[in-house]
Amino acid sequence: MTKRSGTTSTYSRRDALRMVGIGGAAGLFAPNLLGKPARARTSPAKPNGRVIVGLGQEPTVFNPLMVHIEVDDGVHFSVFDALFRIDPQGVIQPNLAVEVPNQKNGGISEDGLKWRIRLRDDVRWHDGTPFSAEDVKFTLELITNPNFRSWRTAGHSLLRDITVISPTEISWRMEEAFAPYLSFLTETFIVPKHILGKEANPNNAPFNQAPIGTGAFKWSKRVPGDHLELVANTDYFGEGPHIERLVFKYIPDLTVLYTQFKSGDIDLVGQPYITPDHYGEAKTLPNRVVTLVPRASFESFYLNLERPQFKELAVREALYAAIDKESIVQGLYYGVPTPTETFMPRQSFFFNSNLPLHQFDLNRARKILDQAGWTPGAGGIRAKNGVRLSFTNSTTSGDPLREQVQQFLQQTFAQLGIEMKISNLPAAVMWGEFWMQSQFDSVIVGSSYLIGADPDVSNRLHSRSIGAKGGRGSNNAQYANPEVDALLDKGARTFDPEARRAIYYRVQELVRRDLPFLPLYQSNAVEGLKKGISGFVPNGNTRTESWNAVAWSWAS
Amino acid sequence: MSAFLLNRLFQSIVLLVIVSIIGFTVLNLMPGGPLAQFGLDPGMTQKDVERLAAQLGLNRPLWIQYLDWAWRLLQGDWGHSFRDGSAVLTVIGRHLSATLLLMGTSTALAIAAGTWIGIRGATHRYSLFDYCATVGAMIALSVPTFWFGLVGIYIFTLKLGWVPAGNMYTIGDGSVLDYLHHLILPSLVLSLVHVAIWSRYMRTATLDALSQDFVKTARAKGVSERRILLKHVVGNALLPMIALAGMQLPSILTGALVTETVFTWPGMGRLFLDSLGYSDYPVVMGLLIFSAVLVVLGNLIADIVIATVDPRIRLA
Amino acid sequence: MTVIVAHADPARWWHSRAVRRFLRHHLALAGIAMISLLVLACILGPFALPYDSLYIDLRARFAPPLTGHHYFGTDPLGRDLAVRLLMAGRVSLAVGFSAMLLSTLIGTLVGVTAGYRGGWVGAALMRTVDGFLSYPSIFLVLALAATLRPSPVMITVIIAVTSWMETARIVEAEVRSLREREFVQAARMVGLSRAHIMFREILPNAMGPIIVAASLAVARAILLEAYISFLGYGIQPPLPSWGNMLNGAQQYLASAPWLAIIPGAAITMAVTSFNFIGDGLRDALDVRNDHI
Repeated sequence: MTKRSGTTSTYSRRDALRMVGIGGAAGLFAPNLLGKPARARTSPAKPNGRVIVGLGQEPTVFNPLMVHIEVDDGVHFSVFDALFRIDPQGVIQPNLAVEVPNQKNGGISEDGLKWRIRLRDDVRWHDGTPFSAEDVKFTLELITNPNFRSWRTAGHSLLRDITVISPTEISWRMEEAFAPYLSFLTETFIVPKHILGKEANPNNAPFNQAPIGTGAFKWSKRVPGDHLELVANTDYFGEGPHIERLVFKYIPDLTVLYTQFKSGDIDLVGQPYITPDHYGEAKTLPNRVVTLVPRASFESFYLNLERPQFKELAVREALYAAIDKESIVQGLYYGVPTPTETFMPRQSFFFNSNLPLHQFDLNRARKILDQAGWTPGAGGIRAKNGVRLSFTNSTTSGDPLREQVQQFLQQTFAQLGIEMKISNLPAAVMWGEFWMQSQFDSVIVGSSYLIGADPDVSNRLHSRSIGAKGGRGSNNAQYANPEVDALLDKGARTFDPEARRAIYYRVQELVRRDLPFLPLYQSNAVEGLKKGISGFVPNGNTRTESWNAVAWSWAS
Repeated sequence: MSAFLLNRLFQSIVLLVIVSIIGFTVLNLMPGGPLAQFGLDPGMTQKDVERLAAQLGLNRPLWIQYLDWAWRLLQGDWGHSFRDGSAVLTVIGRHLSATLLLMGTSTALAIAAGTWIGIRGATHRYSLFDYCATVGAMIALSVPTFWFGLVGIYIFTLKLGWVPAGNMYTIGDGSVLDYLHHLILPSLVLSLVHVAIWSRYMRTATLDALSQDFVKTARAKGVSERRILLKHVVGNALLPMIALAGMQLPSILTGALVTETVFTWPGMGRLFLDSLGYSDYPVVMGLLIFSAVLVVLGNLIADIVIATVDPRIRLA
Repeated sequence: MTVIVAHADPARWWHSRAVRRFLRHHLALAGIAMISLLVLACILGPFALPYDSLYIDLRARFAPPLTGHHYFGTDPLGRDLAVRLLMAGRVSLAVGFSAMLLSTLIGTLVGVTAGYRGGWVGAALMRTVDGFLSYPSIFLVLALAATLRPSPVMITVIIAVTSWMETARIVEAEVRSLREREFVQAARMVGLSRAHIMFREILPNAMGPIIVAASLAVARAILLEAYISFLGYGIQPPLPSWGNMLNGAQQYLASAPWLAIIPGAAITMAVTSFNFIGDGLRDALDVRNDHI
């Protein structure tokens, strides 16, 4: 793993799996295995060259604490530092902190309530001001400031008595033991107190449009609607950066995004990457390196369990048996994604590989429905006790591949006497109350269930999290299983990775059995970059391909 | 005239108020909303979404939200974008120049080409040229713009490699030549429809003028055909052309929308589409008002010009 | 519109001179020929082809044109493109026609009323027209499509609601100029009712511009449907329309260009036909309206 200084251009899926294996073995126990962040690379001393990253959405939020979307992360990871970073193996590494706290090294107390973090003393903000524990305290307090439009507050709201012990040491107490918080901190970037602290209204501060961080790149300029440019921070405390300019270019159309990669206008394809139907062609492009990179995103046929059609497990099992996953993955998606049985990403330490495998079997599906009493009625549509086996399926409009999947499934389901109607919605409508308040019958949705690499999925699967029933999370399938609830509560309090693994294995078993959603596949990004860029390492535990632009360099 | 203007001004203000009320209502009644984009975030909770709604003032009754917005607008405050917190006017200003560059170039192209084709078509009526120009204009008006843009990219970028696939300039270059290189394809695609409209218009206008008595008189006097064309025909057609341009003013906002999307041009059309996609209410409202003002202005210009040219039409 | 035509005396405006002029117009004839061909093909074609427009066959996907009986090839789900194109034509042409009828009806009603009544009624109506025009149509379309569930009927209504204003303006201008003509004054003096004057005396004389506008409105409606469906907000799969056939075809531009070229060509052909016809009608009916 430490030999990763070689070209990453030959990085393949097998390598990824091997690395996952190693990462899994190391687990969360060996946070300091790498010593330094994975940034040791041979490259010219002075940063030179420029990398243009093409993005399908426009980064617009540059204050990393404010509410933002995935695409903004690339900028945050480059301009700012967090206390910790998470590496591709899911191992949490120190970033602004000097070590990762745990119960063994005393950073976290035995009961999980007292945290104590030691910080680096050699870090400066881009304006030259030294970084200190005061900045960390300011950041953590700003997040829960009721007037501040902050992003996620879960976890942060448990913090009490944040105390600056010295400029390089900070401690706090947690209201309750919450193991996922360490992962949350890998996505909590530290902002400067000496600038934002003076702002009366941090929501409209000039800082938000010209951020000052401690990261490897400094803010340069932005042409809204087009691109933004960062320049190398030559005083960066870590290794790198090796490129002088990092540009994020906004290209809203996915075909144009690919075309510009092909024509060489952009050096690296960022979110949402190359579309699967271009994968075959992209692989053959000269002077380009195109690889499949596992993402944490999990695609499923997601059901609303409160609909009478879906209440019965037999119906869900029959639907699942009627999904020709092989044809979808191999045919419609050109073999790009990996079929899966669970929401947990394969590369995760907590991935349960012993779940029963799905089998496409129309006869079995028919038999299940027959036995459960769903018999063909008017128009050949099955019905039971007056409930017709007919439902609507929705997804974001303008996604041709998902629309193909819908029509393919529609035809298969029809053969079984199941009627599926298609009604797609624009993203801005789809993921509002329609999704959050469970107003759908069924949707095809791809999303990540994890924050960082932490396996806690209470937000998605705990019965307390059902928005439509006044819950506070996004368990929009309205899945409720007391055993899962208990396991999730226990998992969030447990710090020992092995113990947690047993808990989340069981959660995955139960969810696989109950089928609140029909698992389709785990996404792989078709990542493309120009030959000659070295140091690029994909990381499925972050939401961005640009999580370590600090290590990128051009081969001379 | 001044009474007319005053009357029109009053009507325009009423129009703006109605447009803003309906726009605001429609926008807010659309399911989803500005927080929908966080619906898939694994770490955002229902509580976070409710907190943000309160912070953005979205949990207040609709009419209070509207009055608040309108009151601020009267004081010159257009509000701040939900997405990046910038002032709405700043956001619009940033994108306006890109659109003006694209629209300006393509309009100039269209007027130049359209005028020439139109006049030539009229003076060589029923010639092969006229025939081709007529058929060409008809087809140009019938081709879906997005399709034409795609085919253009396919041929001139993918197959021939003559022009870039999109963007306004090469990052790091940005010279005038570089801008022009990037302008060629999108402005050609965009001007296609306009050439068709202008050439058809010029042809009719020229035919009209040529049949007028004063042209016949001029001809009889032995004035050269070129002079007649330049002085009488073009001169006569000029004011109605301004009227036509006035009617097209509002298309600054959306006229280039498709082209901007296909060619990744950072202009107003794309800003509008993006803002709508993110339910960035303050920016969308700003753009709606902007658009309504353009319509009012455009109509006013057209009406005044037409009334000036054709005294038979009373300003009412 | 049919209702209105029924009231008019055909001999008054559809006189032989106009017909002769129209027939002399080669482009208009070509337009009529093309659109008749298209309509016939869309009605009869699907019966002649050995495929179902909805049948998915993943083994046959991306067959190029002229593979076996797939004359136009197949789409990404292995459905026959020719039969889909013709079925889509039914939908797109039906939506285009109905939207035209509806928008012409609205536009004519508003235009005649505003033009004849004038005064504050006219001003209010025409400011409403301005109001509708001042919303970028993409705003109205997106807002409506997001709020209402898109079905072919809904799409028709959405298109009609966003495109009646041109007709209203044309009709208003025409009626305003007819209002003070002798025959109208005569009718007024005889004591005919306002509705009678508006719809039986004035309207028939304004039919020329309305017919021209209507033929062009079909063209615009077809384009608009294509655009809405192209963006994914229009006709929902699996029902094909020319627009939603293009939706998604762009990403196969390099590998399967026929997916984009064939529906695009069909749209262009249909729209061109209606524009040709409109142009012919304009010449034949001697309508001066230069910037539609």
